[in-house]
Amino acid sequence: MGSNTPALPPDDRRNLGLRLSGLQAVVATAFAALAVAFWIFQVAQHQRFDDMAENTHRRRLPLPAPRGVLFDRNGKVLVENQNTFNIALVREQSGNIDETLRILAAATGADEAKMRETVNRRRREPSYRPIVLIENASIEQVIAFRARRLELPGIISQEVPARQYPQSEMGAHLFGYVSEASEADLAKPEYAGAESGSMVGKAGVEQSYNKLLMGKDGDRLVVVNSRGREMGEASHNNPVEGRRVQLTIDGDVQRATEEGFEHFGYNGAAVILDPRSGEVLAFTSLPAYNPNQFAGGIDVADWNSLLTNDLKPLQNRALQGRYSPGSTFKIAVATAALEEGLVTPDFRVFCPGGATFYGRYFQCHLKGGHGSVDMRHAIEKSCNVYFYTLGKMLEVDRIHKWATLLGLGERSGIDLPGELKGLVPSTEWKKTTREPKWYPGETISVSIGQGQVSVTPISLAVMMMTIANGGTRYTPHVVKAVDEGRGWEPVPAPPPQSIVKMKQSTIDALHDGLWMVVNAAGTGGRARILNYNVAGKTGTAQVISLEGAKVAKGKMDVRDHGWFVFFAPADKPEIAGVIFAEHAEHGYLGAPIAKYAMETYFARKEGRPLPTLPPKTGAPVIVADAAAAPASPTAAVQR
Amino acid sequence: MFERRLFFHVDWLLLVAILVLMGIGVTMIYSTTYVHLPEPGHPGPQFRTQIYAIALGLIALLVCLAVDYRKLAESSLVIYGGLTVLLIYVLFQGSTQYNATRWIDVGPFNLQPSEFGRVTVALVLAMFFGENRRGARNPGDLATAGVFAAVPFFLIAKQPDLGTAVTLIPVCFGIAYLAGLRMKLIAILAIAAILMAPIAWKFALKDYQKTRITTFINPELDPQGDGYQQRQARITVGSGGLTGKGFMKGTQGQYKFLPVAHNDFIFSVLAEEKGFLGVLVALGLYLFVILRSVEAARLSKDRIGAYLVGGIISGFAFQVIYNITMSAGLAPVKGLTLPLMSYGGSSMIATLAGFGLILNVRMRRFTN
Repeated sequence: MGSNTPALPPDDRRNLGLRLSGLQAVVATAFAALAVAFWIFQVAQHQRFDDMAENTHRRRLPLPAPRGVLFDRNGKVLVENQNTFNIALVREQSGNIDETLRILAAATGADEAKMRETVNRRRREPSYRPIVLIENASIEQVIAFRARRLELPGIISQEVPARQYPQSEMGAHLFGYVSEASEADLAKPEYAGAESGSMVGKAGVEQSYNKLLMGKDGDRLVVVNSRGREMGEASHNNPVEGRRVQLTIDGDVQRATEEGFEHFGYNGAAVILDPRSGEVLAFTSLPAYNPNQFAGGIDVADWNSLLTNDLKPLQNRALQGRYSPGSTFKIAVATAALEEGLVTPDFRVFCPGGATFYGRYFQCHLKGGHGSVDMRHAIEKSCNVYFYTLGKMLEVDRIHKWATLLGLGERSGIDLPGELKGLVPSTEWKKTTREPKWYPGETISVSIGQGQVSVTPISLAVMMMTIANGGTRYTPHVVKAVDEGRGWEPVPAPPPQSIVKMKQSTIDALHDGLWMVVNAAGTGGRARILNYNVAGKTGTAQVISLEGAKVAKGKMDVRDHGWFVFFAPADKPEIAGVIFAEHAEHGYLGAPIAKYAMETYFARKEGRPLPTLPPKTGAPVIVADAAAAPASPTAAVQR
Repeated sequence: MFERRLFFHVDWLLLVAILVLMGIGVTMIYSTTYVHLPEPGHPGPQFRTQIYAIALGLIALLVCLAVDYRKLAESSLVIYGGLTVLLIYVLFQGSTQYNATRWIDVGPFNLQPSEFGRVTVALVLAMFFGENRRGARNPGDLATAGVFAAVPFFLIAKQPDLGTAVTLIPVCFGIAYLAGLRMKLIAILAIAAILMAPIAWKFALKDYQKTRITTFINPELDPQGDGYQQRQARITVGSGGLTGKGFMKGTQGQYKFLPVAHNDFIFSVLAEEKGFLGVLVALGLYLFVILRSVEAARLSKDRIGAYLVGGIISGFAFQVIYNITMSAGLAPVKGLTLPLMSYGGSSMIATLAGFGLILNVRMRRFTN
């Protein structure tokens, strides 16, 4: 045992041994601690971490359900779905987002700054959730993107069913629009079943029948890796398409009504009903918006321009606009006087061009006066003095009672959202205002539809329906049948709002008078259709008083609105409604729109070719005059 | 040089334990680097590389076993000089990956010289304290030893690779402790370290190093960034449960939620797929390897052997304990591999060379 290194002396060896044991003890203690730590994580808290692991690698991807298709009463498609392409960014798969957006913009021609803003706005969302950059991408854009796919990591194209309104703005306020449910929406009962990201109806039929139309979104549970790449599918639930719904709307009458407004150059509203049931044949409010803009998410600029537009395209004038009814209100006053038995249709009043009531002189619109008129002629000529007299006899509360029975100052109960009430004053109502006493003089103004009275267009349509059918105030409704998967099943009509059995003499007098408005010496000649006995009444809604007009001059449109209310045929009515022509100044200017709608209705019913409007040549007045003449070439119905 | 009778003194039990640990490591690397798509998939390139590394490492082990450790200790200064040259070379000519310059490009593979720092420093210090006959009681000697350790420490920290540099500390400390470092001094050093911590925080640590520590203390500060790995590590380990999700069935590792799982977090993958029972087996094997190696120091014929073993096994134990703590999300994330199991050629070769020396000391306990 020669040695070049010294062996350990026993003392040193003992010391070394102690220190080695110390080292072993430290290591053993550390390992024991580690074993305890792993036991805590893996055994004691296993469940919690297992749940976290599940959440980490499983993703629920929604499969949006197509909404139910809307048909018109004749089976024509009104609103459908179309698959569109979105180009979207999945941030967690994209390396350099700025660079990616730049290349994408160059390839597709999309606005780079706008895309960047979109990404920025949604940067707080989980990074695996796609952010849609280009909605409703064109085929060219999709091809351009696919060609450069390798340079565009994280960019995907997705096919999604989007709501499609083939007629764009036609019936926009009737159909409404769809958009993504907001957090606040999810709490509302009408959106039960919707989830964050679901598309829900936000107006019109889309909203009120959302539950039927929405269907049920499906989903896929997929297994993904840390880069969001799909590794497999854990489960798959197919979406259930929304119910098909048939509306009471007649697509042709709807189109004719809107064409009429366009042709004669007015905004406004129209509601056309079947007076035998309350079914809505046409419903419009103009100007409208294009609901297709909302289908894939409207952009901020478009939305702001809709909100700030002076013409208020988002307002549903038919349900929410409240205007003075003007002379159309005389129909309600006449009904009240006849039904209360205060007068008979032969009751005569002498009109010298005005009269004094309660110490104040009230004018008739005809300076020279109408002479002696009975009920029929008073309606035909719209004689103010006659109705002042009836108003004085009735007093305000009886006017209120009958106006209400005809639907004025009430909600019609139509199955569309957002309806407002007009106002028909009464002494009861007056008590709720600041000056609680009703002055009899106020009744005189009310009896010709001025003063405090205000109505919505749809409530005037209801009035005409009720007069036409002799006292049944049906509830207007737009849904005729629903296909719940077992074929079309008719939806029962809602119960009428009120039923009064009007006297035959009342009905005859009103129908005669209103027929004379159109077919004799009245103001509704422009709605005349030979052999179809159109009955109607015009009215003028003052926008502002004469004094107010001076103040407001130049700041707003102060021209009066025109009303035309109608039904036909007078002896056996099957169509009734209202045309509200905004700032038309005269009620008779709305009459040709009604005429065109009615012509279309009758032509469609009798299987004749549908009428067309002549090309717009210049001033709408000329066309309107021609339409009023019996020999008009536009009136195809007159053969 | 290698006498036949020495063959019978080889510690076969220790060698088998090492081989089993490497086998577990390779299995886990196979699982976590397996390429699933496109179907049907194939093993990742790391699996094969690791097998080659183990083969090279076993050769290194044989070399370190065959040459008498005393001979090696005598030439330790030469080895030390060579390492220093390589570390300096790395700083100027090394290849850069992940913002750090740690590698020398040697044809088919990259060599990471810093991994050999521990073995080299252990050799030099074992020689130094073993030869001076005074042990580690003289302040002058301690200072000299400190300088020996400090040179590679700063060269490695400069790469920057603080994690690997720090592993030199337990090596020095282990040797000094065995060489009789006074317990009083150990206590003073411990207190000084605690007092120095705020100063080091302020002046010595880089921002990213500070972030690692702050996010360790509160991972929610940055759940997607630095806290992410730690959070994922805990989920990986915790979701493994008692028996694990099964081989290649771990979702965290397979779907790459746990970054560099085959490298720093191989133990997390083991915990996920083999569960707490697998963890106990691996912990038991590591503990056995360490305690058994310490026995080699106890049996050593001379001081040099005891100190050499003590230094190498202290560095090894430190690295194992730190990495496993980190793999459960209980320590700040550092680029510190798990010896014998983690993917990495240089680490594997250096570790096996170290065990070659440990086996060497035990095997030659009866020779001169």
